[in-house]
Amino acid sequence: MNADQALYELLDDYFSGKLTAEDAEAVENKLKSDPDFNAKAKQHKAMRDAMKFYNSRVELKHMLDSAHLEVEETKPVVLQPAVVSGWKKYWPMTAVAASIAMVSILGTLWMTQSLETKQTAIYKELRRNVDQIKHSQKMLMKDIAQSMDKGKQPVPGKYAGSGFLISSNGYVATSYHVVKEADSVFIENEKFGRQKVTIVLRDPANDIAVLKLMNDSIAYTTRALPYAIAKDEANLGEHVFTLGFPREDIVFGEGSISASTGYSQNPNSYQVSVPVNPGNSGGPLFNESGDLVGIISGIQTETLGAAFAIKSTVIMDAISKASLDTLARPFVLPKYSTLKNSSRIQQVKRWKDYVFVVQVYKN
Amino acid sequence: MNVYYFDELIVSEIKKKNEVALRELYKSHYPMIVNLIRSNNGTEEEAKDIYQEAVIAFYEKVQQPDFILTCKIKTYLYAVCRRLWLKQLAVKKRYHGNIQETETFLGIEEEMVTIEDNEQRFIRMRESLESLGEPCRGILEDFYMHDLSMEAIRDKFGYTNADNAKNQKYKCLQRLKKLFFATYKEDLP
Repeated sequence: MNADQALYELLDDYFSGKLTAEDAEAVENKLKSDPDFNAKAKQHKAMRDAMKFYNSRVELKHMLDSAHLEVEETKPVVLQPAVVSGWKKYWPMTAVAASIAMVSILGTLWMTQSLETKQTAIYKELRRNVDQIKHSQKMLMKDIAQSMDKGKQPVPGKYAGSGFLISSNGYVATSYHVVKEADSVFIENEKFGRQKVTIVLRDPANDIAVLKLMNDSIAYTTRALPYAIAKDEANLGEHVFTLGFPREDIVFGEGSISASTGYSQNPNSYQVSVPVNPGNSGGPLFNESGDLVGIISGIQTETLGAAFAIKSTVIMDAISKASLDTLARPFVLPKYSTLKNSSRIQQVKRWKDYVFVVQVYKN
Repeated sequence: MNVYYFDELIVSEIKKKNEVALRELYKSHYPMIVNLIRSNNGTEEEAKDIYQEAVIAFYEKVQQPDFILTCKIKTYLYAVCRRLWLKQLAVKKRYHGNIQETETFLGIEEEMVTIEDNEQRFIRMRESLESLGEPCRGILEDFYMHDLSMEAIRDKFGYTNADNAKNQKYKCLQRLKKLFFATYKEDLP
């Protein structure tokens, strides 16, 4: 047995506490005094500890392994096979992703569709409005057709509107839409009776038409018109009056200029608060001093008290562009109003002689 | 009542090296770890290894005289397992960043160093013993681990006298020391 071996025997005994107190003290003293011995002792202790540690771990592992067996025995849930790879592993995620994608796509489609329908609804609404305006404008021509169908004899006009003399020698202004589908047109009022007219000016853009009396003799007997055509635009709030034939008899209406533009900001017409009905189309719109400021053209449905009238300035433009007058029948525009200071009653009495019901016949 | 009441109970039993308590502890938290590992590219086998390592680390920690329970055992085990698994994933290059990194476990960093050191020590010793071969391994294990006397070892391994056995043991120890310290550098206290 060599010295080194004896040394380790001693250390083993020392660490496991088998030495007597004296010997242990001797070893401790040597540990303090001999660094070489000390280093060896430390290394040996580390070795011993590592081995002890290893042993305890091995034992622990055995214990845990046996505990694990219990776990496996009592495992309540059958778990799916471990490490699924590739498609199998990702398909639930894929399915979720796909369903989310589907939902969002369908959702988007649905949303946009609903938006679209909303917009088309607005659009339709708009169109319906326009339709209604058209409709209402047609209605303003008064549906004589119905009564015609019922009565058969005598055959009245298909549509009816109003009109008024714009030139003393037999020119009558009305709305274009009143006469647009006409085969023949007659005008009628108390003073002149029933007269046949021809259409000499069609202006669909401005909704203006000018009719010419066929009967020359009547045309020449007319005196100068009691009203002039206003050359300036009427002011907001100005009092205005109309005469028209929404029924068989002439009807007076009054109101004021409520806006200087017409339907959807049409600058060619006024909005007026005059009560008008189907049949008023083409009727004159006078102001307080007896000047003609416009022609009644239509109303806006769904809005209360909103009627529209073509501005007199537009009428003047249309007429002057059209070069209507002939040598035989010069177009004489009324120059001034002779009813400026007359009472309303007097004015209306004079005006109504120059306002006609326009009857339109159409096959 | 302390919120850690049951945990404290378990700890006090484990301090006494109560095997039943350790078994119960082991069984009660295993499903959680299996779930963690399996849902992060691991197998049940790997979960078992990781979990056992964590439980062992906990057990050894509890054995320390100054041990105080600072969080729930469940939390501790989860944190350790998580870290161990992350490390293993990094080694295997299978990590895809699935484990939530938002959770923070106080003091787990130092803990991990100790755990890894111990694991290292354990593995080195195992490898050293394995390369040592028989009968050296048997002699050393019996003497140092199972605390058998030299007489018993002599009889077991068939040596004619105790001195021969001691001689053999000395040679084996030197070889083991060489093997062990060649690969494992321990900071000597």
